[in-house]
Amino acid sequence: MKQKTDVLQGTLALMVLKTLDVLGAQHGYGIARRIEQISGDLLAVNQGTLYPVLLKLEQEGAIASDWGASENNRRARFYRLTKEGRKQLQVETQDWEQTAAIIGRFFEVKAEDLP
Amino acid sequence: MRSLRRFFTRLLNLVTGQLRDARLTEEIEGHIALQTEENLRAGLSPAEARRQAILKFGGVEGVKEVYRGERGLPFIETFLQDVRYAMRMLRKNPGFTAIAVFTLALGIGASTAIFSVVDAVLLSALPYAKPEKLVRVWEKSPDGRLMNLADPNLDDFVTQNDTFTDLAGYEYWLSSVAGGSEPVRVNVASVSRGFFKALGVEPFRGRAFAGDELQVYGAPAAVVSHSYWQRSLGGAADLSKIHLKMEGAVYSVVGVMPEGFDYPPDVAVWIPRELYPELPGRTAHNWRGLGRVRDGVTIAQARANLSAIARRIKEEYGKEVDLNDAAVVPLADATVGDVRAALLTLLGAVGLLLVVACANVAGLLVARTSARRKELAVRVALGAGRGRLIQQFLAESFFLSVAGGALGVVIAIVAVKALPAILPTNLPRQEGMAVNAPVLLFAFAAIVAVAVSLGLFAAWRAITGDLQEALTAGSRTHTSPGTSQRLRGFLVIGEIAATLVILVGAGLLGRSFLQLISTNPGFSGHNLMTMEFSLPTPQWQQGMEDPEVARQIHLVEDILTRLRGIPGAETVGVAGALPVAAGDSLADGNFLILNGAKAPADFNEFSRIAQNPAQVGRAYYCVASEGYFRTTGIPLIRGRIFGNQDDWNSLNVAVISESLARQRWPNQDVIGQVIEFGNMDGNLKPVTVVRIVGDVRANGLDLPPSPIIYVDYRQRGMKANSSPTIVMRSAAPEGQIVAAARGIFHDLAPDVPVKFSTFRDEMNGWLASRRFLLLVVGLFAAAALTLAAIGIYGVVAFSVARRTQEIGVRMALGAQRSDVLRLVVGEGARLALFGVAIGIAVSFAITRLISSLLFGVSATDPLTLASVAALLSLAALAASYVPARRAMRVDPIVALRYE
Repeated sequence: MKQKTDVLQGTLALMVLKTLDVLGAQHGYGIARRIEQISGDLLAVNQGTLYPVLLKLEQEGAIASDWGASENNRRARFYRLTKEGRKQLQVETQDWEQTAAIIGRFFEVKAEDLP
Repeated sequence: MRSLRRFFTRLLNLVTGQLRDARLTEEIEGHIALQTEENLRAGLSPAEARRQAILKFGGVEGVKEVYRGERGLPFIETFLQDVRYAMRMLRKNPGFTAIAVFTLALGIGASTAIFSVVDAVLLSALPYAKPEKLVRVWEKSPDGRLMNLADPNLDDFVTQNDTFTDLAGYEYWLSSVAGGSEPVRVNVASVSRGFFKALGVEPFRGRAFAGDELQVYGAPAAVVSHSYWQRSLGGAADLSKIHLKMEGAVYSVVGVMPEGFDYPPDVAVWIPRELYPELPGRTAHNWRGLGRVRDGVTIAQARANLSAIARRIKEEYGKEVDLNDAAVVPLADATVGDVRAALLTLLGAVGLLLVVACANVAGLLVARTSARRKELAVRVALGAGRGRLIQQFLAESFFLSVAGGALGVVIAIVAVKALPAILPTNLPRQEGMAVNAPVLLFAFAAIVAVAVSLGLFAAWRAITGDLQEALTAGSRTHTSPGTSQRLRGFLVIGEIAATLVILVGAGLLGRSFLQLISTNPGFSGHNLMTMEFSLPTPQWQQGMEDPEVARQIHLVEDILTRLRGIPGAETVGVAGALPVAAGDSLADGNFLILNGAKAPADFNEFSRIAQNPAQVGRAYYCVASEGYFRTTGIPLIRGRIFGNQDDWNSLNVAVISESLARQRWPNQDVIGQVIEFGNMDGNLKPVTVVRIVGDVRANGLDLPPSPIIYVDYRQRGMKANSSPTIVMRSAAPEGQIVAAARGIFHDLAPDVPVKFSTFRDEMNGWLASRRFLLLVVGLFAAAALTLAAIGIYGVVAFSVARRTQEIGVRMALGAQRSDVLRLVVGEGARLALFGVAIGIAVSFAITRLISSLLFGVSATDPLTLASVAALLSLAALAASYVPARRAMRVDPIVALRYE
């Protein structure tokens, strides 16, 4: 059985931002499902932990929310990316890629490669 | 940036109470419903679908918790919760709360009130531009004495320095000024060029002196103060028609200073010094120096600069000068002068009082904490962390301090309103006293300091030791109350020590005051009326014509004759100044002993002779009438007094004080000595000593008797003393004499304003600052003593309550009531003993600091220390006697069944 990975809060926030960037306005459930789908169930998130992250992002101004109607015609809170959130996503994506690249290089290097 | 925004949103949420619980609940429900539908679609049974959905979501309460934490600012929320809890606890113990709040209010209120005085007088900046650049300047004698500046020396300082933007001389004196609505006696200042510029203040109406007004015998001009302009000139917009008659000349008013400008203090009229010729002598110290140091130049550099000039003067003129250095002191320091020590003493005393108050409240908190140990143990058992407990105690003490502090600020506001009535009038800058921003800031700082120290103290008490034990132990256990009782004991010992220090301070000031008022001034002030007046002619203007002097003499003679005729007047006399109360207005100077040599023909010759120390003496110059000695009762020791034969044309005579005779002519007969003292009044006729009289402490009771040479006003005129005063001994009612005397002055000299008073009142004025200091320190001492007594009572009473059972056992076993009394009172006595011992040690270390305020007692006066220690011990015994009586009434049977 595959070990499931803990999700750091920061990474979760980045996933939320990217999800909203790709899908547009979404309610909490939608975001949770999307993250599950993409991570292929490798990331097991208690779906509830998503909500404090959403609130934090909202208070930072990265996302905004409004009431709307969900698929089953219930009232649901829809979250969307703000201009500021888009900027934040860009910056953090770059950061992430840079970090990933550096870590990646570390793994590629073998002992005999060193001078 | 982002986190800042987040913080404000959270703060806003907290303030607006916008709690998004409802939204979250709805979102969670929606979320679970969607998941359930999905699960249903996957083929689960409805119940299982919902169960799985909830499982997948995770702990709803946990999410809500995190969500709430994210939404608001949890630490503030719990703090508010603690405050609400603290308020409930305090409301439940109204007695404790009231005592604690009032004690803290007393401490904080008194400190704040005193701080407002200190702030106004010592700390707040002078009301001038760049006040730190303003300095007072003096000549300095070889023995370190500060002297005012002589004309030529001042001129050299002004022209040769390169560190001052402006340097000016000024002097002021009481004078009659006519021309306004009525003649008044006000301070007139003569100021040299640059005076107003140095202060950086310009007239708010009109202009400063210019042109002809700055020439010798030029156009007399005056600038008046705002209040004089309002009061005596009716606030007239057109100054051109206003002329003031004073100093024997008519001055046109050219300017009005802005409201609040008050330098030198209480001056109503400023005139240019340049109008009158300078005195050539380099030892005639007539001018106070005031300057503004250039930007980028330090006070020390300015001092070095003037010192160098002073040394050059000394080198050039040798024995003709008596300076060899210069002093430069920041104006703020010079203005405050010797008040600093008194104010710092007050601040120290009130600080100690605050410490005593805090110790008292801390003692109460300890008592309450030990009573609350079970509650605390339960809270710990239920999972409260130490931080949480500390926070709760902080909240309680925070609430106590804020309530006490708020009440204290109210007390301070009332006190600051009431203070001017008892503050000595000679305290400089007191008009700026108010509960303003810096004072409130001080109060706030005091409140925070008290809150934090009390809170941490109580919390430390609460969480040390094993709380579990408190939970399991029965109420009979004595272990934990024992330690807290010891701690309260330490607190009370500290309280007693601090109280003793304040008491010693008050005691030393009190003994000084008693010593002072029982000091013999050298004459009798009983039933002595005083009438201080000034003549309408200048006392310093050179070249005054003889007829003018003669007119003055006749006027004074007439006034004295008429006053003598008032029914009830026993004796009447006149002198240059009222000793003790106004002795500062007497001037001193060098005189020559002629010993048969010819009197100098002019002042150059005077200066030459003065270079021979064998021929020079130093004394105060005072004019007097024969009746002055009889009226004041200054004893006539040897020789004859001024008589009718001494008039304008006869041999000029002098009366000298005993100490002068002893110092200057030891083992010689001084009667018949011929003295030249004309440098004081401009009259070079020598005087012959005809009599020795008793010493008077002319310059104040706290100073040794002053050497004085009295001359007869009928021979020398009145012009050399600035505050001539008529004294009259009379047992008749004061009002009656004043009414009659007022009529006489009105008849003979309607232009001369007179200040009627009694020697007693003048002395009270002179003693005012010492009395004020004594009164306030005494009040603080009394307050501290009361608090300390309450503290002792609290400890002993608690101990009696705790030991009721033990006392019962002792009594059942045959202990007498006296044994119980000894047991209980002994506990209080032990605390007092330690406290007094520590207090005496501390007093030894710090009372030296107030020695400049003491008179006739040493800072470690054993009598004061002993009586204060006795007083405090007595209070301690009395405080422990009350619970002791309760202990003695313990019924052994009841006590053994106790609990």
